[in-house]
Amino acid sequence: MSLDNLISNWSKLRVRRPQVDQYKDSPYKWAMVIDLDSCTGCNACTTACYAENNLPVVGKKRFLEGQAMHWLRIERYWGEGEESTQEFPEQGAAFLPMMCQQCESAPCEIVCPVGATHHTPDGLNSQVYNRCIGSRYCSANCPYKVRYFNWYNYPESAWPSPLELQLSPDVTVRSKGVMEKCTFCVQRLTEAKSKARTEKRNVQDGEVVTACAQACPTSAIHFGNIADSSSTVAKMWKAQQVELSADKQKKDMKHEKMPAASEVASGVGASVEAEKLRGYRVFEELRTYPSVVYLERIRSGEV
Amino acid sequence: MSTVVEELDSIGERRFEPKAKDINEDIAWAKINTDVLRSLERPRPIFWVIFLSAVALFGVGVACEIYQYKTGLGVAELRNPHVWGLYISTFIFWIGMSHSGTLLSAILHIMHADWRKPIYRFAEAMTTFSLMTAGLFVLVHLGRVWQFYYVVAYPNERWTWPNFSSPLVWDATAIGSYLTTSVIFLYFGMIPDLAICRDSATGFRRTFYRLLSVGWQGTDRQWSNFRITYLTIACLLIPLAVSVHSIVATDFAVSQQPGWHTTSFPPYFVAGALYSGCAAIITLFIILRHTFRFEEYMTIPILEKLCKLTFAISMVWTYLNLIEYASTWYGTDVYAKQALIYRATGIYRYWWWAMNFLGSVVPFALAFKALRTHVPTMMVVSLLLNLGMWIERFMIVTPTFAHGYYPWTWSDVWWPNWIQIGIVAGSFGWFTLLFMLFCKIFPSVSMYEVKEMVYHRIRARK
Amino acid sequence: MIRFGMTANSVASGVNRRDFLNLVGLGGTASVLAGCGNTSIESGVELVQSYVQPETFVVPGVGVYYASTCTQCGSACGIMGKVREGRILKLEGNPQSAISGGKICGLGQAGIQGHYSPDRLKTPMLKENGVLKATTWEKAMSLLSGTVSFTAQGPRRVVLTGPTSGHLQILLKAMPQSGAATDHVVYDSLSTAVAASVNLKMFGVEQTVGLIDKAGLVLSFGNDFLGAGDSPVAAARQYARFRKAERRGILIQIEPKMTLTGANADRWVVIAPGTEGVLALGLVRELLQRKEFANNLSPNLIAAVEPYNQTEVSHITGVRGDLIPRIAATLWEHSPSLVLAGRYPQGHAHGSHNMAAIALLNVVLQNQGKTLWREAELPFPQMAPALGNFKSLRQLNTQMAAGDVGSMLIYGTNPVYSTPDFMRFADNLQKVPFKAAWVTELDETAMHCDLVLPLMSPLEDFGTHVAAAQSDGMEISIQQPLMEKLHPEARSFGDSLLELLKQAKPESYKSFPDYYAYLKSAVVNAKPAFDPKVEDEEFWENTLSAGVLRRPAALLPLPAIEFSADLVRQPLRESRDAAYPFVLIPAVRPSMRDGKAANLSWLQESPDPLTTVVWDSWAEIHPSTAKQLQVNEGDVLVIKSAQGSIRAKAYLIPGIHPGSVAVPIGQGHESYGRYATNVGVNPFKILDPIFDEETGELALYATRVAIMKTDQNERFTKDEGATNLQQGRKLVATLAADQVDLAKETPFVIR
Repeated sequence: MSLDNLISNWSKLRVRRPQVDQYKDSPYKWAMVIDLDSCTGCNACTTACYAENNLPVVGKKRFLEGQAMHWLRIERYWGEGEESTQEFPEQGAAFLPMMCQQCESAPCEIVCPVGATHHTPDGLNSQVYNRCIGSRYCSANCPYKVRYFNWYNYPESAWPSPLELQLSPDVTVRSKGVMEKCTFCVQRLTEAKSKARTEKRNVQDGEVVTACAQACPTSAIHFGNIADSSSTVAKMWKAQQVELSADKQKKDMKHEKMPAASEVASGVGASVEAEKLRGYRVFEELRTYPSVVYLERIRSGEV
Repeated sequence: MSTVVEELDSIGERRFEPKAKDINEDIAWAKINTDVLRSLERPRPIFWVIFLSAVALFGVGVACEIYQYKTGLGVAELRNPHVWGLYISTFIFWIGMSHSGTLLSAILHIMHADWRKPIYRFAEAMTTFSLMTAGLFVLVHLGRVWQFYYVVAYPNERWTWPNFSSPLVWDATAIGSYLTTSVIFLYFGMIPDLAICRDSATGFRRTFYRLLSVGWQGTDRQWSNFRITYLTIACLLIPLAVSVHSIVATDFAVSQQPGWHTTSFPPYFVAGALYSGCAAIITLFIILRHTFRFEEYMTIPILEKLCKLTFAISMVWTYLNLIEYASTWYGTDVYAKQALIYRATGIYRYWWWAMNFLGSVVPFALAFKALRTHVPTMMVVSLLLNLGMWIERFMIVTPTFAHGYYPWTWSDVWWPNWIQIGIVAGSFGWFTLLFMLFCKIFPSVSMYEVKEMVYHRIRARK
Repeated sequence: MIRFGMTANSVASGVNRRDFLNLVGLGGTASVLAGCGNTSIESGVELVQSYVQPETFVVPGVGVYYASTCTQCGSACGIMGKVREGRILKLEGNPQSAISGGKICGLGQAGIQGHYSPDRLKTPMLKENGVLKATTWEKAMSLLSGTVSFTAQGPRRVVLTGPTSGHLQILLKAMPQSGAATDHVVYDSLSTAVAASVNLKMFGVEQTVGLIDKAGLVLSFGNDFLGAGDSPVAAARQYARFRKAERRGILIQIEPKMTLTGANADRWVVIAPGTEGVLALGLVRELLQRKEFANNLSPNLIAAVEPYNQTEVSHITGVRGDLIPRIAATLWEHSPSLVLAGRYPQGHAHGSHNMAAIALLNVVLQNQGKTLWREAELPFPQMAPALGNFKSLRQLNTQMAAGDVGSMLIYGTNPVYSTPDFMRFADNLQKVPFKAAWVTELDETAMHCDLVLPLMSPLEDFGTHVAAAQSDGMEISIQQPLMEKLHPEARSFGDSLLELLKQAKPESYKSFPDYYAYLKSAVVNAKPAFDPKVEDEEFWENTLSAGVLRRPAALLPLPAIEFSADLVRQPLRESRDAAYPFVLIPAVRPSMRDGKAANLSWLQESPDPLTTVVWDSWAEIHPSTAKQLQVNEGDVLVIKSAQGSIRAKAYLIPGIHPGSVAVPIGQGHESYGRYATNVGVNPFKILDPIFDEETGELALYATRVAIMKTDQNERFTKDEGATNLQQGRKLVATLAADQVDLAKETPFVIR
């Protein structure tokens, strides 16, 4: 970026995210919808992520030390509050696939000293390995704790020959000292975009999906471009009345009275209404404006 | 600050006894030179023992760092979510230590508190060396230290800049400026004394001091330029000192994490910094007084003033600490409240209670004249206070990682391992060896300012 | 003429690389066009400027997808492999396969790691003085040939394999027929033979097809169809449709230890192990009180269920009494329902009776013809899968102990690992004078063999597979190599079989130079059943590129069968053995199965869904049991049965019956590559010799154990942090089903 460029595009560079209709005129804004009612917690997506993104297997000792490198993890909860209340989990377990939420106003981006993590024009929270100096400030500030640091030089040990032949040439094999995280399979997006560009069109809905979405046996993970209002994911966002640039959704204000702090802490939540929409974003109230909408799990209380 | 001290001073004077003198005002100027220059003579064997121990300790740190550098930060058992560990805690500790040198040399200087004069020199040296130590931690902590210069806004053909919205960039800038200014201030304030050294040294030492004293002759013109420059740097240094620790505080306050995201952090950090710095000065004061037989310069009344100052700052710190607890407890941020409760009841609870005890209760020892004039007690108390302040930094950093927003990554098992402890120990070795070298090469008591002090006091008496 | 396949001769000359790529390239082009939505070769040619002259059909930088079939479990999912610069990089589901529908599970994904495994066997190995040493194929083949002709070694010459299907199954069947062997034994340590026998008695077929997506309610007795089931991807796809139906389907899971499926249930009911049949009969009795169902059973059956009243059932099973009429009511209200039975009820001495009692629910509810069917006719019944069982291995074991077995050829199974200690299988194997194993990695069984032969990985080999109980038409899945052989000495098992068959019966097999030629001619011969109009070559290429041979076919109704009330008879309540107060549940992990996948590091590091533990074995106990035993998480327990003991760390989990302890199967390998060896323990080893009374299958869940606490405590290697609760954060929110209207949501795209 030359100085001239910097000065002439200052207002664009200083854009406050998110804004209403921010992506109205841009071709892409990648986003997800994850249906927690369909998610069975089977781990197909996490393995697909290992395969697609050259994630190293760290081994027992390093996993024990909390140095696992799973960009996408499946969490399993037994309850919502602070205390376990049931003797047996009568409604099963609650599974949550958690990966980088590609926040529009990402806490990691503002604190990275070197700008190694920044926002791309198509709404991704990118990570530039070459630029990263490994201060780990981004991870410290991530509310979701979905950033993974290369504590060791994994290429030395993770792929004993000939396992390294499996490594995708489209994805950097990260060396020690850099931060990494879910990229929404940016290599797939890049390939699809460049293909579309040579054909002088935009990427079509369904033309490209992330590895996790492609693998998911129950189609719980939906990936697409919400700048394209005709895409499935855009329709799902709309149907769920989730607005990208809102830190509290209108439908929630309509349905809930503000819960008292004590209620939030004890997991009681808000008052119950007759019918609700299922879409929500995790930690929306922190104003991170995530790009991943989760759809609430459903459990029938009939039995 | 000095008003408070003097107020406390006068209370003591009225109630108990005639005011003890800060310094023997009838001391001969030649004796001052002799006494101070004596500290630069050939050291006793015990010096070498301690010095080599410090070098060995530093060597342990270097060995750990080399291992960590070669293998990766994982060997330090840094992990998700404990991504920072002791390195950042100890970094804050050393940055905090650096503040009191500035307090004594610059703030008290422009406030004309002349009792600072015999003791500010080593405090200023402490500032510089603890900053140099703190800087090491920034490097030790980086994943790719070989590319640390990315944080500096240097011109390059790609026009890539650091991210100016990141507090780490402010940090790098502020610490860099503060270190530079501190070094200049320390050196500049020493020039008249270096000239005295030059005049009494022989051989290569004379050459060394001659080069350093840059032709100081003590002319009126030199003195007048010296005074103005010294004052100017002092004025520059004060905002820098305040900003450095405020910025270190913003490393936490700008982030969103529960327990860190607090507007009171900058003043809280500055108070904590001055607090730990003053406690460190008391420690070094006692050591130097004993080692170099500086009883006539580092007198008990000065120690008392220092103790009173420390006590005042400790109460400011306690107040800010309580404000933080109260605002979290009564506030609406449930996450922050959970984090606070975790600090008091989680696996780090003993440390949390120790920090509150050492930081807020132990300083009351300074309020009692009998205790604060008892040198061994003060040695112990000052060390305890510094321990408390080190724990404070640990308690700021670690529990938030252990118990942040995201319950899935809550961790109940993290303690620093031997690599981290080795590097932290190495930093103490590094600081000690720098400080010992300084005391043997440069006059650790400002000769010309003690003379000034004596001169002015005699004039005032008359 | 394309020559491909690994005969003894062609190994020496090596396969021409260009030929290979031509072959798969042709297959691949069409599959790309057919719809995986990725790049095509043609477009890539224009874009890439390469300085090196690439091989035919290799465009540097462009990945091409080729269809094949996953062999990680028996479900024969169609997969596609992304191939770039001659390397296979990633596996995806093949959208043309009705089984996978373009989806793939974690176990399937990790198949690629078996292919690239650093511990692959590279050369034939011959045991000399107790140590395996490298040898040549010539030597190996001459030794193998010795087994074809009768020798004085012993009367029986056995081929022991895991479950197989397709043309390999035809060749295996031909082994005893042609005299190249005397027996073909199919062994499956996790067999469903009990279910098959009960189905045969009650529905006239061994394999029934349950349509989850057609049911309004699925009542599953320990059937882990989403996890370690028979065809998890196909079931998961049905499950997704079931949940997104106009009226959202309800899943009730009844089992002693929570499975992945149980974790997704609307209502999970814990039950005392082995009492599932009692509860089923209680539900039958409850249903019979409705007039709609009252006439669905014969009088003697009605009499048989009469004693199972609410109090009695509740007393035996530990299930709350009021739950029984409520489940019965829901079964009625949400009809059509589907009642499934899984591994847990099978694994007892009265496993058959358990299964029959559960199947009786389907009969009472008249689910046949609604949600329960028989699969469509397979045009080539000889390709139908041979599902293994335990009983035949037990017989073989007796013969081995008596010295009746002269030679044994082992493929696709690892009985030394998966048989309990009481069988002394490894010792008996030593009594067999000559035993050879085909493996990709040296496993426990191979270590006990005299001759070990390097097998091509499934991604290097040709093959055909047929899944059991297909619900959507009939499909033959085609397996083709996705890349060149990594290790030149590795060969296909089909080639070796063909060599042996050629010796025994030259007239039938001499026209096939290798297994590839055999397979191709067999597939092309099947052309009339699928696409009679095209040329032979074209048909073969189309088949390779599609990866499946598909025939739409309707499911068939189940015949009505009379069965005696004796089938559903439940045993008297067992008295508790004070020395062994707990029931051991060797839990089947979706990613590990019977331990075959333990050598894949992705799966070792893939957290177990319910405990999130990786790289380890553990013992799951209920918190109340832990309290009673004063055990904390991580305390090392000794789990002792009458047959032996294992040590595992305690993991406290609410989803288990308090009288049980669950230890996962799959770990504890003594030899199976660097990732599996010396990880965890093997619960197979301490199983009691208890067998299903009707079928003779090993009762997997009937072993009783004692738990002893040791002084050791170790931290768990798990993903879960210090809490397993959401702590008031809105992470996974849950809505009651009546609070949401799924019809208002955008239609979901479910493949």
